[in-house]
Amino acid sequence: MFRAAPFRIAVWSVVVFNIIFLGLPTVVIVLASFTAGDLLTFPPEGFSLRWYERLLGMRDFREALGRSLQVALFCTLFAMPSGTLAALAMVRYRIRFARTLQLYFLLPFTVPLVVSGIGMMYVFGDMRVLGSLWPVGLATCAINLPFMIWSVSSAVNRLDPDLENAAANCGATPLQAFFTVTIPALMPGIITGALLMFILALNEFIVSIFLVDASIVTLPVWMYTSIRNIITPDLAAVSVVYILFAIVSIFALDRWVGLDIFLKSK
Amino acid sequence: MDDTARRSETSTQAAVQVQDVSMVFDGTPAVDAASFDLAHGRFLTILGPSGSGKTTLLRMIAGFQTPTAGEIFIKGTPVSTTPPHKRSIGMVFQKLALFPHMTAAENVAYPLKMRRFAPADIPGRVKRYLELVQLGPYADRRIHQLSGGQQQRVAIARALVFEPDLLLLDEPLAALDRKLREEMQLEFRRIQQELGVTTINVTHDQREALVVSDEVIVMDDGRIQQMASPTTTYGEPANRFVANFIGVTNFLPGEVIGAESGRARVRVAGHELEGRVAEPLAAGTQVDCALRAEHARILGEAEAVSFSADAVITESIFEGDRTVYSVVAQALGGAQIRVFDTLHAGAGNKGIGDAVRIGWDSRHLMVFPR
Ligand SMILES: Nc1ncnc2c1ncn2[C@@H]1O[C@H](COP(=O)(O)OP(=O)(O)OP(=O)(O)O)[C@@H](O)[C@H]1O
Ligand SMILES: [Mg+2]
Repeated sequence: MFRAAPFRIAVWSVVVFNIIFLGLPTVVIVLASFTAGDLLTFPPEGFSLRWYERLLGMRDFREALGRSLQVALFCTLFAMPSGTLAALAMVRYRIRFARTLQLYFLLPFTVPLVVSGIGMMYVFGDMRVLGSLWPVGLATCAINLPFMIWSVSSAVNRLDPDLENAAANCGATPLQAFFTVTIPALMPGIITGALLMFILALNEFIVSIFLVDASIVTLPVWMYTSIRNIITPDLAAVSVVYILFAIVSIFALDRWVGLDIFLKSK
Repeated sequence: MDDTARRSETSTQAAVQVQDVSMVFDGTPAVDAASFDLAHGRFLTILGPSGSGKTTLLRMIAGFQTPTAGEIFIKGTPVSTTPPHKRSIGMVFQKLALFPHMTAAENVAYPLKMRRFAPADIPGRVKRYLELVQLGPYADRRIHQLSGGQQQRVAIARALVFEPDLLLLDEPLAALDRKLREEMQLEFRRIQQELGVTTINVTHDQREALVVSDEVIVMDDGRIQQMASPTTTYGEPANRFVANFIGVTNFLPGEVIGAESGRARVRVAGHELEGRVAEPLAAGTQVDCALRAEHARILGEAEAVSFSADAVITESIFEGDRTVYSVVAQALGGAQIRVFDTLHAGAGNKGIGDAVRIGWDSRHLMVFPR
């Protein structure tokens, strides 16, 4: 292996740089959220939980959070089967036009989200469904689905094709083999993808802004409208709520599904 | 019905019958009109070089691929339209294909659940088969917590637990180190004999084929070259390919000058040699005389054998239980001949460059058309 000191120093510098670069803004926000002052400042002035109290006291906030959770849940539940089947179809069954399809699934990323948002607004507007939450979830799912597909595809690529033959050999019908062997073997990819989809949906702003109205504001949109009035430390507190959601979902998955076992099994 | 007629016709003898089975991929045959019968309880090994069609043949028997021609019968029933999950076949895959999200015991229980064994019987049966492969204490380990050899055993237990009509092994030992592989070969044999299950094993390890099998099929280029017992395969190879593929064999090119029943006289570089033939050969046929390295000898001072010639040692490799010499015999047209010499025999302290006399008994010489 590379034992040379210069190499090691280079690797460590990159790692440390990444940690600082990725982590520092988060740390600043977390610390700032505990300020006792009236403005978002760093370093914070004193320590208090007053902004968290204020936040929880706001009905707007609680409702927006509730809506965002619904959107994220809808988006994830929709993305899991559709993304998994799309990934299986593209990688496994060597269907015709696979390449074209892959490009098509990338399309949402190549079009600016603002444009996607306007497009969705027209589509859902014509369908007269604007004003409910599920179109927001569906739109969020549509634009982020490539993340789900990629994450499952890499699991499909690692899948031993003989696994399904082994199941058949054990007497499993194709359907039984799919549910008892294929899906569990793809679980690490599906879980990773679902986690990404959930967090992305919780954060989705640009497309949502075209699809929500005042009565169904989601959390990111709510945050944006409050910034326009004044930047107060309760925004930092909201960010901490987001961070908490990310951490809690990872731990929950680890506990319930046993992430480590999936990650270790080849 | 047609099916029942065929069944009764064939059910008496064979557990597996392969009749003129071919598999063509993009115009190239991977298996070319293969035919053989295998009786109940026998252990057959299919041996052949890489790409000779062994896996393809096995996959057709398992039902993962449909032959482009021919028919396969299991216990007398034609199976080409039977999907794999309806065939009673256990298989151990080359890369094992154990289910990674299940424990050893769950892997073994899986075929029982899928084949609707009575739920009450399943735990006992799983336990019995895990014990058969000496994995009792490891039942609750996950697959990645087991060593390579233990994983092999789980795969064997999973393939056998539902008492299939037929067990298929696709080089499951190829990845193991030599010592463990030889141990597992004997283990396969022990279990197979204990259960009496008809078995088809695929390998390109000739030693394995000879050690564990009742019968050996040698394949090359999609075609079956020979099917016989291990001793016959080794002692009486059907053609030049088989003679070359199994064992270390020297070939001396020559021309047939005469033949009697089962034997032929061949001119090799001006000498007249005599050897066994599998089929009658007309005078003038271009042939190769095959001589196993263990049948060629470096002769002592006064030894007399049916053929001898002067030669010079060009290479000497010490292998522990024997020394392998390469010698060049000018009298045989400069042919290079490999000679096995067990440590206490002929050559003494001869080394590279030394002149020796080599020879053999003509009953060991085999003659194959080129
Ligand atoms: N699905 C396939 N499509 C096209 N060609 C194939 C396919 N499967 C096998 N072949 C070809 O058929 C031939 C026989 O392959 P097979 O896998 O049966 O060989 P094998 O004897 O098992 O070799 P090995 O010892 O390397 O495993 C090879 O030339 C291979 O390239
Ligand atoms: Mg093979």
